[in-house]
Amino acid sequence: MAERLGNVLLALRAERGLTQAALAEMVGVSRKTINTVENGVFVPSTLLALKLARALGQPVETLFHLHENEE
Amino acid sequence: MTTPSDIDLADRLSRRRARMFPLLGIYFIAGQAVFFRQAEEPARIAAFKISAWLVWAIVLLVALAFAGGHFRGAKVRALVEDEVSRANRLRGYATGFWAAAAAAILLYVVNMFEPVTGREAIHLILTALVGAALIRFGTLERRALRDG
Repeated sequence: MAERLGNVLLALRAERGLTQAALAEMVGVSRKTINTVENGVFVPSTLLALKLARALGQPVETLFHLHENEE
Repeated sequence: MTTPSDIDLADRLSRRRARMFPLLGIYFIAGQAVFFRQAEEPARIAAFKISAWLVWAIVLLVALAFAGGHFRGAKVRALVEDEVSRANRLRGYATGFWAAAAAAILLYVVNMFEPVTGREAIHLILTALVGAALIRFGTLERRALRDG
C-alpha cells in the first residue's frame, strides 16, 4: 500500500482569487514552492504546511490529506 | 515582509540557475575528452590544463553548494534557497555520490587491463560527481518551476 500526500491548495487558492505569486508572498516562500506543493511534486515541511493553512484560513488537515493507493 | 518584486526576482534567479546548471554539467563532462585525447604534450601545457580543470571543478562545486540569490539581499536569497531548492540540491548530491561510486567501480575494472594513474582516477571520479550532481539539481529545479 503506497501512501502519498494530497492537497486542495489549488482549489482553495482559486476560491480566494489568489495567484501563486500572491500566496507565495503571503507565506513568504517562492512561487516555485507553491507550484510544487500544489502539483504534489513536493511534500512540504510541517512548518510550511502550517503557514499555508494559516494564510488560507483553514486547518491544516483540511488542506492536506492522505491518499492510499492499492498497488 | 516579502514583496512581489522579491518573489519575481527570486523566480528569475531560480529560472536562470535551473537553465544554466544542466548545461554547465554537460559541458563539464563533455570537456573532459580533451584531457584523454592527446597522449603526448608539453609538460607546461598539461600542467596548465590540469590547473584550469581543477579551478573549474572547484568553481562548479561552490556554485552547486551556494549559488542562488547572493548579493540580492537576505530575503531574495531565502526565497531562491527555499525548502524545495534545498531538497533538490540534496537529491543532486545523492546522484553525484552514485555517479562517483559508478566511476570508481569502472576505473577499478579498467585498471585490471590498463594502468590508471591516481590523478586520472581522481579526475574522472570528480568529473562524474560534479557533472551528475549539477545536471540532476538543475533538472529538478526546472521541473519544479514548470507551470501546471
